[in-house]
Amino acid sequence: MNEIVLKVENLSKNYQMGEVTVKALEDVSLDAVKGEFIVILGPSGSGKSTLLNIIGGMDTPTSGNVYFNDEHITNMSDKDLTLYRRNKIGFVFQFYNLMATLTAKENVELAAELCENAIDIDEVMESVGLGGRKDHFPSQMSGGEQQRVAIARAVAKNPQILLCDEPTGALDFETGIQILKVLKDVNEIYKNTVIVITHNASIAQMADKVIKMRSGKITDISINESPIPAERIEW
Amino acid sequence: MKKLDKRLFRMIKNTKGQFIAVLAIIITGIFVFTAVNNSAKNLNDSINDYYIETNFADIFVKGSSLPEKLEKQLPGTNDIIDAEARIVFDTKFITDDKDENVNVRVISVDKYENKINKLFMKTGKRILDEKDAILIEQFAVARNINVGDEIKIKINGRQTSFNVSGIATSSEYAYMMENEQTMLPNPENFGVIYLEEDYLRKVYSSRGNFNEILLSVNDDDNIEKIADQLEDNLDEYGVSRVIKKSDQLSNNMLSQEISGLEMMSQSIPVVFLAFAGIMLASMLSRIVKKDRTSIGVLKALGFTDGEIVVHYLKYAAIVGITGGLTGSIFGTALSGVMTSYYLVFFSIPMLTVKVYYYRILISVVLSLLFCIISGFLGVRGIVRINPAESMKPESPKKGKRLLVENIKFFWNHIPFSWKMVIRNIFREKKKFVFIGAAVAITCGMMIMTIWMIDIIDVMFNRHYSEFSKVQYNISFDSFKDESVLSEFAEAVKVDDMEGRIELPFEIENGRYSKIVNVIGLNEDTVFYGFRDMKNNKVQVPSQGILLSSNLANSLNANVGDVILLNNFVSDDEAFVTVKGIINQTLGINGYMSIDYLNEQFLDKRIINGVYINSDEDVPNKLDDMKNINVQSQNDMKLAFEEFTAVTAMSMGFMVVFSGLLGFVIVYSMTLMSINERTLEFSSLRVMGFSKKEIFNMLIRENMIMTVIGIISGIPVGLWLVKYLGDAFTTDIYTMKEPVNPKSIFISIILTIIFIILAQLMTYAKIHKLDFMQALKNRIS
Ligand SMILES: Nc1ncnc2c1ncn2[C@@H]1O[C@H](COP(=O)(O)OP(=O)(O)O)[C@@H](O)[C@H]1O
Ligand SMILES: [Mg+2]
Repeated sequence: MNEIVLKVENLSKNYQMGEVTVKALEDVSLDAVKGEFIVILGPSGSGKSTLLNIIGGMDTPTSGNVYFNDEHITNMSDKDLTLYRRNKIGFVFQFYNLMATLTAKENVELAAELCENAIDIDEVMESVGLGGRKDHFPSQMSGGEQQRVAIARAVAKNPQILLCDEPTGALDFETGIQILKVLKDVNEIYKNTVIVITHNASIAQMADKVIKMRSGKITDISINESPIPAERIEW
Repeated sequence: MKKLDKRLFRMIKNTKGQFIAVLAIIITGIFVFTAVNNSAKNLNDSINDYYIETNFADIFVKGSSLPEKLEKQLPGTNDIIDAEARIVFDTKFITDDKDENVNVRVISVDKYENKINKLFMKTGKRILDEKDAILIEQFAVARNINVGDEIKIKINGRQTSFNVSGIATSSEYAYMMENEQTMLPNPENFGVIYLEEDYLRKVYSSRGNFNEILLSVNDDDNIEKIADQLEDNLDEYGVSRVIKKSDQLSNNMLSQEISGLEMMSQSIPVVFLAFAGIMLASMLSRIVKKDRTSIGVLKALGFTDGEIVVHYLKYAAIVGITGGLTGSIFGTALSGVMTSYYLVFFSIPMLTVKVYYYRILISVVLSLLFCIISGFLGVRGIVRINPAESMKPESPKKGKRLLVENIKFFWNHIPFSWKMVIRNIFREKKKFVFIGAAVAITCGMMIMTIWMIDIIDVMFNRHYSEFSKVQYNISFDSFKDESVLSEFAEAVKVDDMEGRIELPFEIENGRYSKIVNVIGLNEDTVFYGFRDMKNNKVQVPSQGILLSSNLANSLNANVGDVILLNNFVSDDEAFVTVKGIINQTLGINGYMSIDYLNEQFLDKRIINGVYINSDEDVPNKLDDMKNINVQSQNDMKLAFEEFTAVTAMSMGFMVVFSGLLGFVIVYSMTLMSINERTLEFSSLRVMGFSKKEIFNMLIRENMIMTVIGIISGIPVGLWLVKYLGDAFTTDIYTMKEPVNPKSIFISIILTIIFIILAQLMTYAKIHKLDFMQALKNRIS
């Protein structure tokens, strides 16, 4: 049953800043199994976002390969990458980034309209705990509520991989825990692989797999045999 | 509805001020385009139909004694299909009111139907008996004459009565002017009467000969060549002029009007569309910039670049379709008004207000394409947005010292609030250049319009008070000895009287040639006040010729050049030196000393007309004289005054259009500023600035650009005036009049009024804005 959905091999990414070459990623390799809840841990600037963006088909590496099932992501054309993002990937960002002029429900529908195997919107909204606030605009919601909408938007497409870049970074502790719980619920209901980036080590307690990064390199990958529920996390 | 489309409509709703603004400019552009272009097409199509239906002549030959046999001889030669001879002469129309001076042109037509220049019957019957007359409609309407009425005209000095058997229009007199000198139709005082041919041949003393032949030819392209050949071939019959269709008075006026309209439909809308295009492009590029993160999210969600570009382009498309549709519908409506306005001047029975549906479609497609292209220029940046990058906050632009800040003396002496204003202007250079340009164009177009209003007045007033001081111009049917002047002196108490010659000549200068009337005058004439282009007085030279500036232009002649004059009547040629070029606003003429003209081309001491100034009712006093035609300057002035009343309306339109451009752009650009700078303004409000102080800052920014715009608008206006003057200068009007400072002043005031209106509108907007709210929800 340990079906590998994502394989990253020797990934490197350099940024040329004038004379200096910034090595954002250096020879990174990892696997992700279907339904796995992965946390990537590392200090600011360690290359987490860069890695996630490449996995999500938003960026291209300098060298190395990413495979999604049998598809070779890092070889894809722009057009195929777009299709890949559309049908296989869901993104959740630190600052929610909802469409300000669309209501909560419309924001989710916007994404759902994109792909054929979208999940029923009301069901998704229910599962992120937003049953009652569907017709509110983002400006009428709190940060936590907005992030729930963002998660619903990402999940509605029924992606195989859900990529979350510091989803709790802009939230207070209580709200952050709630969001993590939502992510875990989604992970359990829809059986998609969830990768969550954070610089907060305590979040690692709820992960199936923890990947630690420093200065563009993976320093450690560990399997957590007994992940705890989100509401019991403390820091 | 797709959610993206929903977002689009909310986006339009949120920017409705700017949306309406850019729409207004597009509508104006398309509106003017459709209105003017439709009118031109209406006019062009209907006159062509009319020409075909009535078989309008291709060539008009005028001569003293053209025999009937030419009707048979000419067809078949020179590509000529048909020929029709006729008798044409001007005479006096007898009215009950003795103070009135009414001239009519009598034209012979066949009893049943003529082949060329057929009459287009409006009422009554076409069949003509000896004592019947068909009246031209404009004249009949102006004088309220109906079928069955009796009219009296002078034939051979005798009052003769006719029964009005029909009323018709003629393609030859669609624009019914008596001659080149009259400039405007005046149907109350000049009309055309058609009489039966055999009858006229009997009573009109010409030994059965005709004085005009109408020709229709095979091939329009050959008209020029055939006309030249006819001039040579028909010499023996005393041919005085061969007039091509294109030079025929009515047709010429119509074509000038049509090409004027076409020029207008191609210039004004371009200005509006150009501004709309720039506005749309900059609006969309600002929206895209503001939406950077949202666009990144859309890309991350899996929308393709194409889908996102199309999403934003729909904004432009909606502007294009709405603008095109509204503009062309209103334009079509206005073209109806314009067309009926043309019906006042042109009598074209087929001229009806047509709705060209396919043209509405063309306008919509044009406007759509145009908006999409400009829109695309605005949104092409979407492609470059990298979704990963777009999530990071944009690095703030580096603050830079402005060049003006280095001018320490200046910079250190202006108050802080002004420093901020200047910094803002330089921060958004492009936007302010655009505002400046819009103000400049507005001011320029105002200057042009005010100048137009002025010049029409100046042209006529100058012509009839300073240039020509002729109160009555009396023309004879033939040449007479100077001694006839005494007869006039007996009949009328004259203040001034001079004999004159007025004769058509073909003037050649190298490869340039032109047929115009040359006027022979006393060297010390009191009837003309000639001035050269530098406004110096010019005397009639004892030898040589004076040319009106438009004539000098079309002959490419300068003072000192020797030009060749060819007189049709005597067929004499002579070289004459150009002694001066004079400023003449109406008409195209040459002027010579009458003695010199007679010596070179005619006989001594003969004249074919008289100028008279007198307080008496001259036409009435000369009632008994045979074969003369009296023209009163006063009648022409009155006709002109009617004309200006109508043009005033279209000028009013122009003022509004020009103002609209400045208004809309200042308004929408200021709105854009407000929308983009809400955060900055909010911070200022938090610091304790009042709304009024913030508004003042905006006003100052715009004020600087308005001043710069107005200053640069003056040369723009002067250029437009020159361009328009050149474009509208024809054989009839010469529009070379400098703009007077008063016009510039009025234009500036009007421009400022429109800008102030725009500012007041934005103030209303600022007042409604809740800056604090903007600070509270910072969401993308
Ligand atoms: N567009 C870029 N240009 C130059 N350097 C970049 C760019 N994006 C990221 N970097 C650099 O790459 C490194 C990794 O960045 P990032 O992946 O965003 O780190 P993290 O998400 O772990 O905070 C950092 O040193 C960052 O400065
Ligand atoms: Mg990061």
